[in-house]
Amino acid sequence: MLSTPRLTDARILVVDDERVNVVLLERILEQDGYRNVKSVTDPTEAVALYDQFEPDLVLLDLHMPKLDGFGVMKLLEDRISSDTFLPILILTADIRPEIKRRALSAGAKDFVTKPFDRTEVLLRIQNLLETRFLHLRVRIDPVPEGQAT
Amino acid sequence: MWRRYGDAVYTLLTLAIFGFETIALGGLSVSFLLGAATGIASTPVEGILLGVVISSASALGMLGLYLLSYHFISSMRDRWHGDQIDQWTEWWVGLALAGPEEPVEDGSRRPKLPRVAVDSVLSLLEAVKGEEGDRLKEALAGHGVDRWFLRRARAGHLTSRLDAIEALGKARLPDTLDDLLGLLRHTKPVVRRMAARAAAGILAIMPPEPGPDGPHDRFIEAVKRADLQPGVVQEALLLLETRAGPVLGQLLADPELSDSLRWVVLETTGRLGLADMADALAGAADHPDPELRAATFRALRRLGSVPEGAEAHLLEAVEDEVDFVRVQAAHAAAFLSAETALPALEPRLEDPSWWVRRAAAGSLARLGEIGIATVKRAAQSHPDQAAREMAVQILLEADELTPAAARLATGVA
Repeated sequence: MLSTPRLTDARILVVDDERVNVVLLERILEQDGYRNVKSVTDPTEAVALYDQFEPDLVLLDLHMPKLDGFGVMKLLEDRISSDTFLPILILTADIRPEIKRRALSAGAKDFVTKPFDRTEVLLRIQNLLETRFLHLRVRIDPVPEGQAT
Repeated sequence: MWRRYGDAVYTLLTLAIFGFETIALGGLSVSFLLGAATGIASTPVEGILLGVVISSASALGMLGLYLLSYHFISSMRDRWHGDQIDQWTEWWVGLALAGPEEPVEDGSRRPKLPRVAVDSVLSLLEAVKGEEGDRLKEALAGHGVDRWFLRRARAGHLTSRLDAIEALGKARLPDTLDDLLGLLRHTKPVVRRMAARAAAGILAIMPPEPGPDGPHDRFIEAVKRADLQPGVVQEALLLLETRAGPVLGQLLADPELSDSLRWVVLETTGRLGLADMADALAGAADHPDPELRAATFRALRRLGSVPEGAEAHLLEAVEDEVDFVRVQAAHAAAFLSAETALPALEPRLEDPSWWVRRAAAGSLARLGEIGIATVKRAAQSHPDQAAREMAVQILLEADELTPAAARLATGVA
């Protein structure tokens, strides 16, 4: 039986072209105890960092120059196997329903609208990470048949 | 990409061209000088030529030096500015997350913030709200930044005014709402536009206050009185975000609302997908203006529901005399029950307008099995060729027909 990793051990990757947003998210996460946070302000570097860092959660801005959030998700899609649950939390100021629909179909798992509330962001991150770790646990340590409901 | 590499390429290219020119002209100057010294080039014409060559070489040298210095200094300034922004961002984030700033003693004034500090906190306010955002706003107000921007927004050069209004919009300080609403009466359209955007951004974070003199009412009255382009009003209403519902509802309920503003409200409601406002939209379903009827059905289509109060009008609109109303009504009919929509949509397969035929066939295909069966029947045996072709096209798009079967049905080899 594997022990459940602590949420604060989770590896979190922040992809946002605005340095201010990156600093803010890093400090919010740090203050809440998360120790493994890496970030990029150049979205074209996101995939390389993803390969190297293997995050448990990606915080992704949608509107970025050079490569937008949809482009990043498209590139990540090829790297994430179908049986892996890698949560992508979108941070965007764009509240149009069609953008949300498009992002969800591209692989995003949840949304936070900018300007965001610190508590809300942390709760959403926590929920996504809990789901991620439960998923990992089921993959590594499947429920015995007799115990399955 | 261009900002990163384009400047370097431009500098190198300029250096190469100017360097080559300078060396060539320098060589010429030296040879002329030697000629003059040895008495070979001593005519007045050669003297003038020598002067021109020397002055051209000096000018090119100066220009080259200036360009190189310009890029060097710009790069240094950018780096310094970036460092300053980073330092201030860290400071503001610390303030936002750590708790309230030390209170200012009575009578004392906080020092004026440098512009880089203000830019940094304004960017931060675009990212964070709640307690953290409130702390930043308090600090801004404590430093008198709101009053400074308001002064600049009211007077001075147009660029400075717009800059100040944009900053107030980013800062989202509730105390500045009425000043911004006052700017909606400004003579310059661009000032009105920026003020409308900024005011909407502020209203979006303000809690709803019931009563006739609440901020929502003041915003609505100012927008109604202002001379704003429909696109500007729509942009402002979209910026209201989660506060848009009550404002749009209040505007829709106003019987004296102008047609252009009502059209904007209908469009915005649809774009924001405010499904709980479908009933409020129904009131414009039989409006005498076809633009408003079409906008109503377009909005209902975007909301994905047709309220009972609009059903009868929708069925009438499917046969409206104006084709763009019929198009929108046919699209919205997909959200009626199949029994209600089918008899209204089937005859539209032979509508004279291609757009109406397409909307009708598309909506029929969305009604489920009964709708698909109707479209298939039309593809096979409708007496009107245009109706048959449209039905085939829709079935192809819905993967209900193979391309080979489509060729057979339409008689195309």
